[in-house]
Parts: sequence; C-alpha cells; structure tokens
Amino acid sequence: MDISIFIQILVWGLYAGCIYILLAIGLNLIFGVMKVVNFAHGELLMIGAYVTFWLYSSSGINPYLVVPISTFIMAILGILIERFGFRPIRGTGKLNEIFLSLGLIYLLQNSAALLWTTNSRTIHSPYSDILVPLGTIKLPLDYIIIIIATILFLIAFQLFMKKTTIGRAMRATSQNREAAALMGINVERIDMLSFALGSALAAVAGSLWLISGQMVNPYVGSLPAIKAFAVIIIGGLGSIPGAIIAGLILGIAENVVPVIIQSLVAVFNVEMSFTAWKDTIAFLILIIVLILRPTGLFGKKGE
Amino acid sequence: MRKHAILATVLVVIALFACGVAQSEETEQQGVGEIRIGVVAPLTGGASTTGNDMWQSAVLSAEEINANGGVNVSGVNMNITLVKGDTETSREGGVKAVTKLITVDNVDILVGGFSSGITYADQVVAAEHKVPFIITGASSPIITRRDDIDTNYFFHHCPTTDDYPDSTLLFVDDVVKPEIYERFNFSEDRPLRLAVLYQDSKYGEGVYDGIKKVIEKHNLNMDIVAAEKFKMSETDFRTVLTTIKASNPDVLYPAAFLNEQTLIVAQGRRDVGLNNIYLSVECNDDPDYYSGVENWGEYSIQESRFGPYAVPSGDIHDAVVKFRDDFEDKWGTSPSMMGASTYEGVYIAAKAIEDAGNLDKSNIRASLAALEMPQIIEVMQNGVIAFSPDYRESKFELYMQQLISNETLDETRPKIVWPESVKETDFVLPDWYEPGSKAEEQTPAAPTPKGPGFEAVVAIASLFAIAYLVLRRSK
Repeated sequence: MDISIFIQILVWGLYAGCIYILLAIGLNLIFGVMKVVNFAHGELLMIGAYVTFWLYSSSGINPYLVVPISTFIMAILGILIERFGFRPIRGTGKLNEIFLSLGLIYLLQNSAALLWTTNSRTIHSPYSDILVPLGTIKLPLDYIIIIIATILFLIAFQLFMKKTTIGRAMRATSQNREAAALMGINVERIDMLSFALGSALAAVAGSLWLISGQMVNPYVGSLPAIKAFAVIIIGGLGSIPGAIIAGLILGIAENVVPVIIQSLVAVFNVEMSFTAWKDTIAFLILIIVLILRPTGLFGKKGE
Repeated sequence: MRKHAILATVLVVIALFACGVAQSEETEQQGVGEIRIGVVAPLTGGASTTGNDMWQSAVLSAEEINANGGVNVSGVNMNITLVKGDTETSREGGVKAVTKLITVDNVDILVGGFSSGITYADQVVAAEHKVPFIITGASSPIITRRDDIDTNYFFHHCPTTDDYPDSTLLFVDDVVKPEIYERFNFSEDRPLRLAVLYQDSKYGEGVYDGIKKVIEKHNLNMDIVAAEKFKMSETDFRTVLTTIKASNPDVLYPAAFLNEQTLIVAQGRRDVGLNNIYLSVECNDDPDYYSGVENWGEYSIQESRFGPYAVPSGDIHDAVVKFRDDFEDKWGTSPSMMGASTYEGVYIAAKAIEDAGNLDKSNIRASLAALEMPQIIEVMQNGVIAFSPDYRESKFELYMQQLISNETLDETRPKIVWPESVKETDFVLPDWYEPGSKAEEQTPAAPTPKGPGFEAVVAIASLFAIAYLVLRRSK
C-alpha cells in the first residue's frame, strides 16, 4: 500500500477522533462536576444534529453559521434536563440517576422520531465539492474545517475553564463539591451550567458530524456515546487532557489498525477483511489500557 | 365461606361458557364469509417506514379484491379481512406477532415478513402450526431452504440474494464492461476488476456469495480485487473505501442498506475520490436514497423490480402506474418495493384460496405450490407468478437503472437501461470515470502474496512496543 493512502487513512482517523473528543469532553465535564453518568449523551449529539438540520433546512443559510444557534438551543435543553431531570433525584442513589439517563434515551429518540420522522436526514455542505491538495493527497475542505474548528473549540474550552470565574468554579466543584459549596460557590448553578456546556459540546459534535456528510436518524446516538464512554475511560474519568489524547488514539487506531492487521495477515497469504473490526479494536484498546492502567491514562486513583 | 366458593365457581363457569360462545360465534362468522390474512410487517421500530408501507399496500389490494366481489370460494364470495402482525423490527417481536396471528387471530394465511433475520425467527411458529406464509420482504434464500424446520408452507415472493448479482453482473458484463474497454482500449483478455463492500449480515454475506457463484456459473471474465466487510448501520466508510481504492477496481458492488449505500456512494465519490461505477442492490430504490445521495449518485447503477420513479415499458406499464396513483391517492405517499410485493402477496393469497376451494391450510399450501397467475405490477420471468418446485421461489425479471441528474429537482432520477425489453434509455459511461488500471498495466488481478509494506512494519513495531510496555510493567 502506498504511503499516501496510509496518510489519508490517518486523516480519517483524526477526523473521527475530533468528533469523539467533542462528545467525550462534554460527557467528562458532566461526570466530573455532577458525578452523573449520562447514558443519553449520544442522544444529545443526535438532537443537536437534528436541530442543525432543522435550522439549515428552514433558513437555507450556510450550515456552519447555524452551528452556534443549535449549540445555544442545546445548551438550554441541557439546562432543562438538569433542572427537571437530574436535580430532583440528586442524592437519592446512583441507580435512580442511571435509570433516568436510560429513560432519557427513549424519550429523546421518540421525540426526534415524532418531530422529524425516522427517515434519515442529511445536510449539503456548500464546500463539499472543494478539495484541498495536501502533499500527495487531496482532502475535502469540510474535514479541514472540522479539524480546525475542533482545535479552536478546545482552546476556547481550556481558556474558559482556566481563566473565567465560572470555569474555575466548575473545576473547584469537580475537585471537591463540599469545599466548593463552603467557599460560596453555588454548586447547583454549576451543575446546571456544566450540563448546558456538555450538551452544547454534544451539539457541536453532532452538527459537525452531520455537515461532514453523515446522516442523522433518531437511533444514531448509541454508538458514538459508547465510543465517548470508551474515550473517557481510556483517558481517565474526569480528565479533559485525557479525553483529548484518548479521543485521538481511538479515532486513529480504529481506522488504522484494521488496515495494518489486514496487511500483516496478507504477508502470510491470508485474504481476510478486518475493516468491520473497527469497534472491536476500539474496545480492545480499552481493555489493554484498563489492564495496564486501571485508572486510565490521566485518571486519578479513587475516580 | 362455602356460599362464596359456590358463587365464585358459578361465576367462573358462566364466564367460561360466555367465552366459549363468543369464540364459537367468531369461528362461525369466519367460516361463512371472511378470509383472514395476517400481514407480518415491522409497523413500529427502526423499519417502521417500510412496515407501514407494506401494510398500506396490503390494505389497498384487499379493498380492491373486496370491491370486486371478494374471493370466490367454491361458489361463495368471501371478503378479505386483514389482521396486523407488528414485528416491532425485532426477532422477539416477530415471534410474538406471528404467534398472536396464528393462535389468537386465527388467520388462514400469512403475508409479508420483512428482514431475513426477523423472518428466520418468526417462521418457526408458522412452521409448527403449518400455516401458509407468502414471504414478500426477506431476501435470504435460506428462508425456504433451511432444514431444521418444515419449510413446505413457505413461499418466497421476492428476489433472493442469489438473484441480485445474477442480473447485475450479467448487465455489467453485457453493457458496462464493453463501454469501459472501448474507451480505455483494454484487451478482451483483461478481467474486469470488481470490488465488493458488503454488510456483515446474512443479507450482505448472501450477496457476496451470490457474486462468487454468478461469476463461476456464467464463467464471467471478472476478478474480485477487494472484498471488504462492514458492520450493519456503519456510518463511516472512508477508510474502507480508501483501501478499496488502493486495489484499483473498475466497478464497486456494495451490498448495503439505504443509509449505508447513500454514505458509501457520497463518501466514495466526494471524500475518497473513488470515481468508479457504483452498483446497488434493489432495496435502495427509494425516494430517500435519491434525496440522500444527491448528485454524488449520478451515473451509478441501481438494480430494481419496482421503484418510485422509473416505470418499465411493455405490458406491465399501465398496471404499475395505476397502482402507484391509487396508492398515492389513498395514502398521500409513494409506495415502496416491499409494498409492491406485499400488494401482490395478498392477490396471490386470494388466488390460492380460490383455487383451493376452502380454507383448509394444507389445501391452500397445495394450491400455492401449483399456482400460475399472470404478473401483476412487477415484471416476472415469462410474465407469470409461479413458485419453483424445489424451494418455492417466484422468479422476477430484475432490471437495471442508471441515475441521471435532474437539474430542476437538483437530485438524480433513475432511468431503466437494461434489459432491452423494458429499457428507457442507454447506459452512459461518465466522463469522470476512472478504471482500475491503465491499458499498459493489464495484469491479471488474482490476489497474489504481497511483501510486507509500510503498514506491516508499523504493525510489527507496535507489537514490539506493547511487548516492551508489558515487560516493563511486570518488572
């Protein structure tokens, strides 16, 4: 196989990694602050993609310009979910939180089916015909935009968490909820804001994913959510740098490793397709990391 | 206490008696003027769009039959009553639906059955009760060929995964290959380079096996240069399409469902630059496919037997148009392929019962086995609906469509290009088409052992790295 083909596959992995990172960071933030495992996080990606589709199809404007609006709408939805879903059951036991988030999966899926039917929807990017030559390969402009947009989002997110009062309050609540409350931080408001931010990041992930030519239907959220869980476990629960590194590892590995294995077995004259093993490889990485580092790459003991 | 016990016993006896009377009345009514047909379809769940289409088509045919006096059963005109059997798009749901249709609703015959996996599970119940089942939506040939149950009561009225590649590859050999070879001055000896991308399921594997069988059966000069699998509902095909592109194919044959096929074609053309002729299995001849694939699907090939846009010319033309118009008038949407075969399924059931002369299930089965009736809205081989004596499969005359861009709609629309008897226009090889290899590189493409490439070196290095980490940790 040509090296240019290998580089191209690497880029596809990078793109997948960007989507995983955006989704996993939101999930990690909610877990870090509220200690809630939101199983319906993939459904927030799905609803975010649908909102972008709806805004785009009703306005006809550039889909990238629609993303901030759908992100804002999803942040409000996140606030509502936290305020009327998770807050009333806070402190009543982990099982209630788990069942609430499982129930949210069905609620959001059926709501999407009711609003937009079960037919798959897609968005036509205005840049889908533009190819950018990068050395020996040509990349569609949309992927370059998505990768750059993810980097910018991550920088903005880091600045928000490090430089703003709310960001510092979120980190403090994540580190020690009681101490943060004693220091005068309104932890319930921080819960609400972290859920809003997590939902907004899921909306960004879903919107960029849709604009890159994917199709959304009410049931697409499950697999990305499972991958996002794998990312935060590999990276370490609650660790944002861990989620970034693990997202990249997972995205690149699940695209590159099957091709490598296929070429390796071809040396022994075995013709076998490994491309359907993407997910297997993702979870194999998860198992290997858990064996070598049970707390994940950047996790702390006790999480 | 004793009084209460007696009262309870009397009430139970009365209740049981009442139930018995009600049951016998229902049976009596059923015997006088009603044929009960169970429609097995995914009315809820992931495939509910298709399932509802199947149900609506069945309703249309039952209404037509009833409006024309019903079914003449030994001189008595009986109306058709349809009973819903919702499989919920799951195996468990399918078993539940078929069990209810047979044991509670007492249907005389079953029609429908979408998805090979679901039908494989629920047909076991029909086999146990020996209820005839006209299967109109499951493509795996195993449905009537499995030997762990009695399949004599199953009649397959939709093409199987063996049938799709037969027509498709004969068309490629007959029409596409000569066009490519003429434009690029390839020698006739050069095998056509075919890549297959198939779903990791009974359906996908069935199509891939069918492709291999067809090449062998017709001795076609084609090489399968890549055969890659993907998981059902996969959404990211960029990597697998990049590896397929590296194998230099002339034609790509995906065995995929609608959403997957849409993404394969769009990602292949737009992201990977795989400028081949893309083939497609019939289940994708759907309005959602044309809107989803946009103009990336232009010039791709769609195998079909009933579609939303193209109508085959010839004797069947008017019947297809009438069905489509009636369906749209009644339901406000276009019918799908699964709807078309279910519509026919109800007519087949009615004809079989008429021929049987009674509602005895073994007699209905026998008349289905001997059935011979004119084609209705789908083109059949020899113009006749009949089930083969070995595996009880009806044989369709599948046709090939090419997607042509429609500037007004900003989408593609299919035009029938093969076979000659029903075609609307000629096949076009697009200007952007790129073959797998140039004329001067005409090498046989049979898989040959390859030397370790860049990725093999990376793999070995990775193995060493993991081994090092494990060793370091154990120290």
